[in-house]
Amino acid sequence: MASSVDSLFVKAQNTTLPKSLRPTSPPPDNVPKHKHVKDLKLRTKLNRQAAHAARSKALVEDAELLLTNEAGKMQVETELERTWRIGQDDIVQSASQEAAKGRRELKLDGGPYRSRYSRNGRHLAIVGNMGHVATFDWQTGTMHAELQLQETCRDITFLQDQSFFAVAQKKYVFIYDRDGVELHRLKAHIEPTRLEFLPYHWLLASVGNNGFLKYQDTSTGHIVAEHRTKLGACHTLAQNKHNAVLHLGHSNGVVTLWTPNIPHPAVQILAHYGPVVGLSVDPSSGGRYMATSGQDGVVKVWDCRNWKGTVREWTTRGGGAELEWSARGALSVAVGGSVNVYTKPSIQTPHAPKAPPPLYLTHPIPHRPLTSVRFCPFQDILTIGHNAGLSSILVPGVGEPNFDSMEADPFENKKARREREVKGLLDKIQPDMITLDPDFVGALAPPTKLTTAVNDTHDIPFARLPRLERLRVQGKADETELVDDDDEDIADGDADKNAKPQSRMEKEKRKMRGKGKSVKRYLRKQRKNVIDPTAVAIRAKLEKQREEKRVAKAIENGSMEARKPSALDRFRRP
Amino acid sequence: MVKISVLQHAPSVHLPARPGDPTPTTRNLDPLMHPFARARERNRALNAAKMDKLFAKPFVGALEGHIDAVEVLCKKPGSLSAVASGSWDGGVILHNVSERKHIRRIQGAHKGKVSGLCFAQDDRLLSCGVDSKIKLWDASPQDDITEQRPLNEYPGKSAFNSIDHHRSDPLFATASNIVQIWDETKSAAISNLTFPTSTETITSVRFNLSETSVLGSIGSDRTFTLYDIRTGKAERRIVMQMSSNALAWSPTFPTNVLLASEDHNLYTFDVRQLKTPTHIYKGHVAAVMSCDWSPTGLEFVSGGWDRTVRIWKEGQGTRPEVYHTKRMQRVSSSIFTADARFVLTGSDDGNVRIWKAKASEKLGIITARERAAIEYRDTLKDKWKHDNEVGRIQRNRHLPKPVYQAAKLKRTMLDTRAVKEERRRKHTRAGESKPNAERKKVVITEQT
Repeated sequence: MASSVDSLFVKAQNTTLPKSLRPTSPPPDNVPKHKHVKDLKLRTKLNRQAAHAARSKALVEDAELLLTNEAGKMQVETELERTWRIGQDDIVQSASQEAAKGRRELKLDGGPYRSRYSRNGRHLAIVGNMGHVATFDWQTGTMHAELQLQETCRDITFLQDQSFFAVAQKKYVFIYDRDGVELHRLKAHIEPTRLEFLPYHWLLASVGNNGFLKYQDTSTGHIVAEHRTKLGACHTLAQNKHNAVLHLGHSNGVVTLWTPNIPHPAVQILAHYGPVVGLSVDPSSGGRYMATSGQDGVVKVWDCRNWKGTVREWTTRGGGAELEWSARGALSVAVGGSVNVYTKPSIQTPHAPKAPPPLYLTHPIPHRPLTSVRFCPFQDILTIGHNAGLSSILVPGVGEPNFDSMEADPFENKKARREREVKGLLDKIQPDMITLDPDFVGALAPPTKLTTAVNDTHDIPFARLPRLERLRVQGKADETELVDDDDEDIADGDADKNAKPQSRMEKEKRKMRGKGKSVKRYLRKQRKNVIDPTAVAIRAKLEKQREEKRVAKAIENGSMEARKPSALDRFRRP
Repeated sequence: MVKISVLQHAPSVHLPARPGDPTPTTRNLDPLMHPFARARERNRALNAAKMDKLFAKPFVGALEGHIDAVEVLCKKPGSLSAVASGSWDGGVILHNVSERKHIRRIQGAHKGKVSGLCFAQDDRLLSCGVDSKIKLWDASPQDDITEQRPLNEYPGKSAFNSIDHHRSDPLFATASNIVQIWDETKSAAISNLTFPTSTETITSVRFNLSETSVLGSIGSDRTFTLYDIRTGKAERRIVMQMSSNALAWSPTFPTNVLLASEDHNLYTFDVRQLKTPTHIYKGHVAAVMSCDWSPTGLEFVSGGWDRTVRIWKEGQGTRPEVYHTKRMQRVSSSIFTADARFVLTGSDDGNVRIWKAKASEKLGIITARERAAIEYRDTLKDKWKHDNEVGRIQRNRHLPKPVYQAAKLKRTMLDTRAVKEERRRKHTRAGESKPNAERKKVVITEQT
């Protein structure tokens, strides 16, 4: 009897309270209340969802306590000192033994070298132009594979992790195992020059001397897309890690942005007066800034959100520069015989004069040409590939100190690698989800337009209307989250003060039917180039009226004093 | 002077302390570290919906033993495994559902159909038949399972249609052409509760599970009547458009009653306001023959003349879970087991089938990790149910071709009727003809 009671007690210790009975923290403030929803059950559900979202947000802010590691830094104390005066020897001396291991020189012969780190920064793949390929774990010094391919090799990339790598060889792309066993010859990729792997979509992309951009799914083996760039051979390729868009730099100075879904570039920019040599996208701002360099010696930083000219541009002494952006927003420029590193915020703030930004660190390398720069993820290390091998230098403050084990973990063991690979395959995103704006997933679809509506009434009987139209007819449609696309068009043109607010249906009617988006774009382009004197006059008049209103309001508020009448008022222009 | 510090990761923080320890994980919840977070979550929700359908194997087993169609099923209160079934050949079988064995097998309990079964206290079973007899049987497990003699017999005046036992007192109610209350110790009915002006046959009678003096009954005159033992008479009655076939009181909400109607719908009524039903559940394409609530009160099962079993969520009137088999003919009775995990159905082919209430549920021991993964997948499916692809996978049900065609035809006919009514309304003077709410069309009148 007693033992059964005891066993019951033991069992009771292992039970957990259901979630609904657990104490919840006090409801957060600034939670939207949804008072406009009449249905009680729906309103309760929406309120509960909003409270949960607010609580999760607060927890995410608190989770910054989890970030235990601190980034490196290099701070000068006196006014006369400069950070770029500090050489690698000083940095190595003040770094710990582990960190100092990052400063190394690899003296190899085999042509100019290119390198690539795996996503977790633990493994390094190097390829020399003559065909020397090697992959190794640089922290422990374990060599995975070393091959002498005896043909031109132009680029190398790891696939999902160190277990596979792809080499862009003279004619085709080849995929090798971790130990260097050749697995596949991708005969679709002809004369490849650059390779990129999109890790969340499992796509291997290559550009080549024939001007084709090809995407191949490495999990199924299918070619997903083959795009003719029609701009000739391409030697520069960069990936935007936040939306999986590929940036190509062409020999006529044009930078194009590609997704596998559109046969023509999504964006095309004339960036330089000569071929584009270096290209990189900033991961620390979510892919907002792009740096390009041309053979004309100019380095430009662009804002990818609005493409309105460069944020910053300057001329370097020397030809084309190799560029790479680090995870914390530092830009490395390898040009001539040295590597320069510039940091945030100066590199990202708009600056009109064509002066180079303040230098953070510089390092000379005697072996020219400098063919590649790569930052090691999660370390303060920059690896430069040059004619005589590779050099790794220490750059304090460029590495992301806190990594997420679920995404990329330099310390993962065999089991974790396997689990991550399987989970990555299960979560593989289809290539048709790649767009310039990655946030469209889960957003509300734009409201469908019922084009047969005339003056807000329909021919269709109520029972056959789509649900949203039926709710609208009943007056129960909740349109608080809808954004009207037409408002943006009107803001561009001349806002006539006297125009009465048009209903949505009227706007639909007035829209030209049968004219597609391309015609609209063409007509708008024609309109924008024409300077209409009446339009200019109306704009000036509106501007003056707005200014008068603003002054009157300011005088009412008391922030501005009313102009005292003076004798010279009659000479003032009206 | 200059302050320099170079980033380093302490291996002691990131590597396991001893061999065999789990590797420490570090998290950085900055959204920049997790690109495509929403697209990946949507992918997981899609996979979760697909896995749900992949592992949906609801049929568990069949309990055989009856020669003719199974008419009525009844579960023993307080027991998880004892279920009694009565069939058209007059046989009553008491099953042990977990072992799939017979505890008792009574052949020829009644001459003719066994029309009602219920459990009394202390392991006893009451059965009533169309031979106007009520018999009390011993339902305790014994060695000889084919014991044929009843403990007691109560003769009646006309064929009985239904029987139900009081929650605690030794009383039971029967339905024939009148509703009578019997005492177990007396051989004649002690009271007659029938509605004064009714001349109909009462098809089913049920005691309320919480307010145990209250009874509800349904009759062939399309009625639903409420009785109270304490006043000794019928309280109220509603007359509906079409008659009901089964009646079930909600176990968690005492005033709610569920009616399975001939017009292919199920209705829940709140007995305080009988003018309109609270919910209408539309899905069956033929008459609904039986219904039963889950012990949680959040779900119920219905079996229909269209050879399907549907499991509904309370409050959601469309798109229930549908179970069907080629071998299962008209479903005449359906019950939930007491742990809300299984559904038992008795059908015209003489089998009692056991189904899972949640079709993709794993029946074995679930580890804590597995349960966490299942809960995560359920939350994902709920969050992304408005997405086109994920929602479509969750909503689609495979139906047998005749049922699908019948549903399609029914949909077409109802749509055309609605459109015709609307066109008529369009051409009448404004305000003269107004659309009627669906709920108001159900009850014709309420009588006291």
